[in-house]
Amino acid sequence: MQIIENSKVKEKLYLEKLDNGLTIMVIPKPNTLKKYIIWGTNFGSIDNKFIPQEENEIVEVPDGVAHFLEHKMFEQSNGTNSLDTLTSLGVEANAYTTVDHTAYLFEATQNFDEALDEFMNYVQNPYFTDENVEKEKGIIAQEINMYDDEASWQVYMNALKLMYKNLPINIDIAGSVESISKITKEVLYKAYNTFYSLENMALVVCGDFKPEEIIEKIKSKITKQKVNGQIKRIEVEEPENIVEKEKIIQMPVSIPMFAIGFKDKLEKEEIVKKHIALEIILYMLIGKSSELYQQLYKNGTLISQPELDYEFSRGYAHILISGQSKNPQEVVKGLKTQIQKYKECGLNEQDFIRVKKKIYGDYVSEYNEVGNIARMFLADYFKGINSFEYLEQYNQVTLEYANKLLNQVFNEDKMIVSIVEGK
Amino acid sequence: MNYKKIEIKEGISVHEIETEQFKTNLLALFITVPLKKENVTKEALIPAVLRRGTSKHKTLEEISKKLEEMYGASFNCGIEKTGDNHVIKVYLETINDAFLPEKENLLKDAIDTLLEIILEPLVENNEFKKEYVESEKSNLKTIIEGKKDNKAQYALEKCIEEMYKDEPYGLYKYGSIEELEKINSKELYEYYQELIKKCKIDIFVSGKDIENAKNIIQENENIKKLQPRKKDYIIDSSKKTNMDEQIKTIEENMELTQGKLVLGLDIVDGKEEEKYTALIYNAILGGTANSKLFQNVREKASLAYTAGSSYLRQKNNIFIKCGIEIKNYEKALQIIKEQLETMKNGDFSEDDIQNAKSIMISTIKAIPDEQDTGITYYFGQEFSHEMVEFEEYINRVNKVNKEDIVKLANKIKINTIYFLK
Repeated sequence: MQIIENSKVKEKLYLEKLDNGLTIMVIPKPNTLKKYIIWGTNFGSIDNKFIPQEENEIVEVPDGVAHFLEHKMFEQSNGTNSLDTLTSLGVEANAYTTVDHTAYLFEATQNFDEALDEFMNYVQNPYFTDENVEKEKGIIAQEINMYDDEASWQVYMNALKLMYKNLPINIDIAGSVESISKITKEVLYKAYNTFYSLENMALVVCGDFKPEEIIEKIKSKITKQKVNGQIKRIEVEEPENIVEKEKIIQMPVSIPMFAIGFKDKLEKEEIVKKHIALEIILYMLIGKSSELYQQLYKNGTLISQPELDYEFSRGYAHILISGQSKNPQEVVKGLKTQIQKYKECGLNEQDFIRVKKKIYGDYVSEYNEVGNIARMFLADYFKGINSFEYLEQYNQVTLEYANKLLNQVFNEDKMIVSIVEGK
Repeated sequence: MNYKKIEIKEGISVHEIETEQFKTNLLALFITVPLKKENVTKEALIPAVLRRGTSKHKTLEEISKKLEEMYGASFNCGIEKTGDNHVIKVYLETINDAFLPEKENLLKDAIDTLLEIILEPLVENNEFKKEYVESEKSNLKTIIEGKKDNKAQYALEKCIEEMYKDEPYGLYKYGSIEELEKINSKELYEYYQELIKKCKIDIFVSGKDIENAKNIIQENENIKKLQPRKKDYIIDSSKKTNMDEQIKTIEENMELTQGKLVLGLDIVDGKEEEKYTALIYNAILGGTANSKLFQNVREKASLAYTAGSSYLRQKNNIFIKCGIEIKNYEKALQIIKEQLETMKNGDFSEDDIQNAKSIMISTIKAIPDEQDTGITYYFGQEFSHEMVEFEEYINRVNKVNKEDIVKLANKIKINTIYFLK
């Protein structure tokens, strides 16, 4: 077992890779009553073309399979539903699917051990029938319809479509009503058997646990066998260039929404350092204290600070600046000018130091709540990152490095603008 | 976790929540006043103007920089309805001194900064700075107009407005454009002064090693200037209803793929002690994944992705919410009504009751692990005639039995059916 300690947040991570291939991470929180467990697999909506272990043929699955599978995992062969069973135990159970992973979780203040039995059992034992797969299509269709009416989701999806030509990140995580109609129990089993191998999974627990004890307990409940061989994900050739510069659609919203993106190249080395630096740069560009935000706020173009994100995983990386504005083109114009200005004169040192302090505070406050901590460690793990690295590499981010990145990443030919206007 | 309430002056209280498990200290300041049509818009505007500038930090930029220097202290303000009261809520979260890279006393700085923003605004010629008021009026107008952007929330708001027509609780928390247009900076400043002079003020400090907080607050110059006050606010806001009221049905058109159905339910002749029963009733009806609504509308009929209900304790109402295909309106409504009938007939098991209790108790037990929920819980106690600690709350939930639930079910009636399509 590996023990990694972070002196800044005064927390410890116990990391163990079991012989059967499963990785377990424990972050003990002795003072809390709430216990949180999350079990994820490195399988998300972008993984739609692959060669299963010990096979040779390429499999291509309909859009939305990872998410559909997540919905169906709760169904049990004895006719019960694990979500109901866990809820009956007084624990909060849930699951979610992202672009690059799927996760099952529960949070308990009581009955943790009983819930753990059910939890470990259902994730390892899928039960799909023609009937239960068919029934789910109506429910997921309503989930898709709900997102269709959400302008913020539409503006986000269009931004991805503007940036990515081939990479399946440009399709909706849930798929479409049409694509899910093609999903059968055979498709689900194929996806499950490929991606839910222990080697491809990680489990994180956070709460009042003794690391050795909880790891032993989890180990004793693993019934799945180790699978030999690797999953081969079929890598899609994605050009460095964007697809198109701009897309504007109309929906019933009172104030337009925008997402401004910069397509970037995923870097294998120094990704954490780059992420930290980009967060600082983004905040210096259009964060609350920035010149640009002050100007746009004063003239009524912005009423709140846009959200600033750097998203990356297998095969992709991009920046997104998203928010609401009466005049999104004004934001785009201001941003371009500000980037140009910083490129010419360099980032201001005083601002850099102050914003860096702010980012430090943001990282420390991530360690407040057990659920947040566990989800963060899991998501970062699938990106090849140990979450503590953000606190450790923080000091290595220099003004010089930030200036270099600014010139590399913020280029107009990689910039896209997605807008939803009112009708 | 340790909770202590100290009234430092009549009408002004400091609430200390001493807790070990967070990296942050969370400060909150609440100003409470009864909901009134002529004042709600002003109350929504005031926090927005306050965060624009203080006498020491005159611009938003200066305030933002000050907060960033404090390792990114996050400042948030907003406005909420709590029963028939309007509450201005202001939060400041900072890193706890133990987790700073260098030794500093951030707690004092945080408290002083929060109080400076609320109690020491930038004033010019005995009024708020005109530019700030005009700019924030325009922002608030955008927010009011943006009400329909979140469809599910909008449908709920509209249902509440119908249920509480011409009553304080039917007011939109951000007010109205009509009222907004009448506001000027002089009048707004006068109203602000009146609030600060007369209203109930609660200051919460949650975090580790906060034993000094009360002294820091008491010695703060801005606090010293405040006078004791007879706090005027509404403790019990439960809705009064008759059994023979007609059901109101409202449909509204908007270009949507998915329709939003909301049912507002009344509890006729509801009593304070029945609130725990209502909580369990709601959990069985639509509060969990095991509930009747989730099971029957979603799992069995596949009509919805979201299907459930929530209990609004302050007003003693239950709201049922579903997102459905527009053509399935009648079908969904039929299933919902059947579930209400099964509740009346006592068609649920002891296990269902136990499960519901278990979920509710778990929520209470988790409060000490969530910094903001702790503050919300104790602030909520201010609107009840007695202080109920966690343990007592759990006892009362445990005492609820089937007979109570069936009795309550038979006092529940649909007030309004609202459908956004």
